[in-house]
Amino acid sequence: MAYLSMGEAHRRITDYLSRFSDAVSSQDAAVLSPLLAVSSNSASLQSLADALNVFQDSNRLVGQMERSSQLAEILSPLLRCIQSYRLGRFADAYVALEKAAKYYFVFFFCLFVSKIPTLFWFMTVWRWGFFSAFLQEFRNWETPWAMEALYTLALEIRLLAEKADRELASSGKNPEKLQGAGSFLMRVFGALAGKGPKRAGALYVACQLFKVYFKLGTVHLCRSVIRSIETARIFDFEEFPVKDKSTCNVNLAQVTYMYYTGRLEVYNENFLVADQKLTYALMHCSPRKETNKRMILKYLIPVKLSIGILPKQWLIEKYNLIEYGEVVNALKKGDLRLLRQALREHEDRFLRSGVYLVLEKLELLVYQRLIKKIYVLQKQKDPSKAHQVKLENIVKALKWLELDMDIDEVECIVAILIYKNLIKGYIAHKSKVVVLSKQDPFPKLNGKPVGS
Amino acid sequence: MATEVKPAAAEDAKMDLFEDDDEFEEFEIDQEWDDKEEGKEALQQWEDDWDDDDVNDDFSLQLRRELENKSAKS
Repeated sequence: MAYLSMGEAHRRITDYLSRFSDAVSSQDAAVLSPLLAVSSNSASLQSLADALNVFQDSNRLVGQMERSSQLAEILSPLLRCIQSYRLGRFADAYVALEKAAKYYFVFFFCLFVSKIPTLFWFMTVWRWGFFSAFLQEFRNWETPWAMEALYTLALEIRLLAEKADRELASSGKNPEKLQGAGSFLMRVFGALAGKGPKRAGALYVACQLFKVYFKLGTVHLCRSVIRSIETARIFDFEEFPVKDKSTCNVNLAQVTYMYYTGRLEVYNENFLVADQKLTYALMHCSPRKETNKRMILKYLIPVKLSIGILPKQWLIEKYNLIEYGEVVNALKKGDLRLLRQALREHEDRFLRSGVYLVLEKLELLVYQRLIKKIYVLQKQKDPSKAHQVKLENIVKALKWLELDMDIDEVECIVAILIYKNLIKGYIAHKSKVVVLSKQDPFPKLNGKPVGS
Repeated sequence: MATEVKPAAAEDAKMDLFEDDDEFEEFEIDQEWDDKEEGKEALQQWEDDWDDDDVNDDFSLQLRRELENKSAKS
């Protein structure tokens, strides 16, 4: 680090403080957000951090400046956070940021409540001594600019907590900051989830919460978030026109929301809802976010497959999802061996993303396809007898695919196919023949899940 | 001065417990685009009429041979 004079350090800190206060009073999110983006490693925040290392008593500066002293409860911990972050002390940085954020949100909430000022919040704010200033500054908290700054803060909370946990884990301590961030964001969410313009903020926070819960493996906690979003009707698909700039971000948050809730529906095997949510996410995802599109497809493709819809080859290639290529081929051909091979080969990947069980269930569709092929081949040879398929022939076909099954096992599978309405017909048990319906013997799923 | 060697690999392994491989990337505030084009593309991504009666592919031809093979190897 180059030598930094006390004067220069002083200048940098006061510069940051005045930019922050100005951004708050002029309600300029474009200025405020980068000032809060601790983990962005921006050059200006880095040089500020260096200045903070030289000039130890920054709190005094915060108090000295009239404008910034009104924001002291936010700014002091925020400066401490920026400094710790630069020094690589992420756990300290997280603790400071959570404190700064707490005050930041408190002001925010006070203003919502302030329409009917209660003794409680009056006392609280009075104790901090900047009541009137904030009433002025944050009167318009409901406007999009405030939501954008909130978005940045919620994001930073999560990112710093993750870094803090990495630091804690590597020094043998208990990594609990991300969990802490989860409960902090949940409180914020609770205060935001309601009606009115706050809902955009609730949606941003919800997206961060999903990321926290998926990372911690506590996805069941998503349920209460989803419930309050969906019962409060925080967003309606139609309500935000994409063209409007201020609602554009809400739409972007909706893509994230749909992605995570879609994934949850995949785990719950609600394929129709999963299809709806993930398709929404895919169609509204920014074309610049190719990795996000790939992630959506990673879940959407198995969902589509299970309702009988295949991705086109170019889609698999474009997003480099070749692990699905063979699954699709297996379905097209009726090649059971290929399906099993593909599942074995990519087992780790499918298990990690949690789609293995979904793909495993495609087996029934592959059986259906194979028996249909046998039927079509028979029809070409002798149309009059085509609707009677000997179980023995299915056994033979499976043997060719190196699957050893006896006639009873095959009969059992055919029975399941009939039960699931993948085959129309009946089994003549004595003569070991499947008698197919003359009309539509192999009903197509047409976008509906098996057995529905 | 002893340099501290960080057990980076061990750290990664530990953090692996908390990984979600498919964490959605953050969106950028204020980006805009017209998603109409994309929507059109999206409709051409899928096929639902693949389940046809075509049996001229290699797989089906082989299957036919197997079925016609009366002297089953069984």
